[in-house]
Formats: sequence, structure tokens, C-alpha cells
Amino acid sequence: MTGVELRDIGVTLAGRPVLQGVSARLEEPRVGIVGRNGSGKTTLARVIAGLVAPDAGQARIDGADMAADRRAALATVGIIFQNPDHQIIFPTVLEEIAFGLTQQGQRPRAAEAAARAMLDRFGKGHWAPAATHSLSQGQKQLLCLMAVLAMRPRVVVMDEPFSGLDIPTRLQLMRYLDGIAAQVVMITHDPGQLRGFDRILWLEGGRLIADGPPDAVLPRFEAQMREWGGLDDLAHLAG
Amino acid sequence: MISLISPVETWAHRIPAGAKLLALSALTVALFLTDRPAVLAAATLAVIALYLSAGTAFLRQGARHLRMLWPFLLLIALWHGLTGQAQAGIVIALRLLAALALANFVTMTTRLTDMIAVLTWVLSPLRRLGLPTRAVTLAIAMVLRFTPMLVENGQRLALSWRARSPRRPGWRIVVPMAALALDDADHVAEALRARGGILNDIPDGRN
Ligand SMILES: Nc1ncnc2c1ncn2[C@@H]1O[C@H](COP(=O)(O)OP(=O)(O)OP(=O)(O)O)[C@@H](O)[C@H]1O
Ligand SMILES: [Mg+2]
Repeated sequence: MTGVELRDIGVTLAGRPVLQGVSARLEEPRVGIVGRNGSGKTTLARVIAGLVAPDAGQARIDGADMAADRRAALATVGIIFQNPDHQIIFPTVLEEIAFGLTQQGQRPRAAEAAARAMLDRFGKGHWAPAATHSLSQGQKQLLCLMAVLAMRPRVVVMDEPFSGLDIPTRLQLMRYLDGIAAQVVMITHDPGQLRGFDRILWLEGGRLIADGPPDAVLPRFEAQMREWGGLDDLAHLAG
Repeated sequence: MISLISPVETWAHRIPAGAKLLALSALTVALFLTDRPAVLAAATLAVIALYLSAGTAFLRQGARHLRMLWPFLLLIALWHGLTGQAQAGIVIALRLLAALALANFVTMTTRLTDMIAVLTWVLSPLRRLGLPTRAVTLAIAMVLRFTPMLVENGQRLALSWRARSPRRPGWRIVVPMAALALDDADHVAEALRARGGILNDIPDGRN
């Protein structure tokens, strides 16, 4: 296993550099990504999942280019979008979860059974026939998580996955994540959610400005955020 | 369509979708073959009995779905009544009511996945001709997913407008709605890509 390998990643959107010179080799089981609004976290998540090919550099997982080889990506990496409405494709909960499994080659019956098992795992068996558009925002987030976890990817990239979840659901989910073998790459604004993580990447203005164990990175990050937050000059606001 | 699916599990849920759709087609044709009000009235009663067999709650829910039909039925009956063809009016109204109630019954008791499986099977000759039928069935699922979302987008925009304006939004939200729809289309494309896109060599809806 070689994990996620980012080599000198650069991404330019609408003529503006959004990521520049990001390099990291992620082999730790739990990696957190922090940074202010607009610092490029979501863009980096997309690059890792192979949804965007970087304009410069190379992104690979276990040696394969996820943007080029979508079939390999299907088995290797799952991504949970920041906005669940952007992720849900199907009208019912069961179909949403089963879809990824049929995409992986499972027969429809087997996929459906696996989808039900996933729902049961979270005590949400009764959600199966529910209309996805009728779920609350937090329920949609949980659905997206279940849909991706059911596919058992090697790497799970999560873009602020807990922002709409109530505390019991969040704790239940974190416990579940503790138990899975997949490598987790999680974006969050809340350092509290990174307890027990092995490594933290801190993005600022599209560049990696810190990379190391939580003890080394998070205190500095929090202090910096507080300092910026204490300023009255709105020019320092993100963007 | 999907929001119509009944939360109450009935005996009809357990009948294969193909059988139900076949019966629906046959019975609908039969309804159009007769012109006798008495027969059509009996057929309508039979459909009501069918709903009742699934419970009163189910009947009430079905009636709610069909409520928007009343003005049309009334209009048809009135029109024919005024033009002196009361019997023809009753025939058409009863026939429509029975046929639509029957279709609604099937919709309420059949999961979308199963409908899509039947459709995939019906389309299978096309697949043998080399046409990608999986894209068709995926498209249907997506229309069902995104129609309520479009409506919601519109309502959300209207709310957002009203929160900041004393006037009603009216046509002014049409352009932002279109922009939102395009944006949503981008996001779905990405969501599909995140889960492998449309791969044609994977098993389709048939089990
Ligand atoms: N499609 C796009 N076209 C042009 N610019 C974009 C596009 N998507 C993002 N950007 C810009 O890229 C920068 C990084 O965006 P990104 O979404 O990666 O930030 P983020 O760190 O995830 O922020 P947040 O914490 O708010 O989610 C922002 O300045 C944003 O304006
Ligand atoms: Mg983001």
C-alpha cells in the first residue's frame, strides 16, 4: 500500500490559481485537512478523488491516476460532497445506496441486500423506501455517508461531513469510522473533530502551510484563526 | 411519482411489478372497449373495493392523490350535460376515474426500482441492437429525483426573495431558477462521475 500521493499539485480555476505546489504522501489511516473558507480544501478533495485532473503535478492513489482511470477509482476512493444535495442522484434512499454497488458490478438483488444491511447498521432500515428529497439536511448527509461507505472504498474523502448532523448521530458515525479499515481524509473547520487523527494538512490561499501531527499543527491553527477572528478589519475575511 | 408510493405495505406490494403493469394495461384497454355506464360504474366500484382491500388508510391516501382530478371530471360531466349528452359525459368521467385510479393503485404499490426493471426488460430488444438502455433507465430515475428538487429550488428562491422584498417575485425568479438548474446539472454530472459514470458493461435492472 502506498496511499494517497500528491506531487506538486496545481489547479487553476477561471484563470486564478486555486491550488499551488501541494505535495504530500498520505499513508496514515486518519488525515485531516483544515483551512479557511476558499483556501482550496474542496478543490483538493476533488483532486484526490479524481473528479478534477490537476493542471500541474500528479495525484495518485496506490500508484493509479484516479482522474484517468475511473474504474479503478470506483473501487479505491469514495468522496462525500460538502453539499449532500449535490451528491444524491436517486429518488429513493435504497436506490441511492444500491447504485454505487451495482456500479461496482454487484447484481441488483445483492446490491439491494447490501444497501439494506448498511441502513440497518445505522438503525435506519425504515428509510429504505423514503423519498430522498424529503429528508432533512442532516439526514441527507448521513445518507451520502452510508452510500459511500457501502462501497467499501480504500480511501474515503469527506468534505465537512458532520456539519448538519446532530450530536448522537455524529458520535455514532465517528465510532463507525473508527472501526473501518479505510483510510479517512476529512475536511473540517472544527479541530475538535480531529481528535485521534494521525496527520493534519493546513491549507491557506491554495498552498500547504503546515503538515504534521495534530499536536504540532492544530494549536497553531487555532491560535491563528482566533487572531484573525479578533481583528475588526473585514478585509481579512476569507475570499 | 415516487412521492406517491404508499408508506403502508399492502398485499399488492408483493405482486411482481410486471404482472401489475400487464394487468393495468389489459384492464385499461377493457375500460375503453365498453360504453355502458352500468358496466363502468361497476368497474369504478370494483376499483374502490380494490383500494379498500388494502385498508381504509390506503383508500384515503389514494383519494388524496386523485383529488386534483375532480375539477376535470366535473367539467367533463357539466359540458356534456349542457350539450345534452349526459350519458356520454358520465361514461367518459367514469372511465377516466376508473383508469386513473387503477394506474394510481399500481404506482402506490410498486417501487420505482421494480418499474425500472420492467422498463429495462421491455427495452431489452433495443439493447440487443446495441443501444445503451441503462442510460434511459438512469435518466428516468433522475427525472423523478430532480423534478421535486426543481420545484423546491423555485420555492426556496421565492422565499429568499420575499425575505428581502415587500413585493412578490413572480417572473423575476425565472432566470435565477434556470441558472440554478444548470448548476444542479453540473453537480449531478459530478456525482455520477464520482460513482463511475454510465458504465455499460455492468448488470442492468434485471435480476
Ligand atoms: N468552479 C469554480 N470556478 C472558479 N473559481 C472557483 C470554482 N470553484 C472554486 N473556486 C475558487 O477556488 C477557491 C477555493 O475553493 P474551495 O471550494 O476549494 O475552497 P474551500 O477551502 O473548500 O472553502 P470552504 O471552506 O468555504 O468550503 C475559492 O477562492 C473559490 O472561489
Ligand atoms: Mg469547501
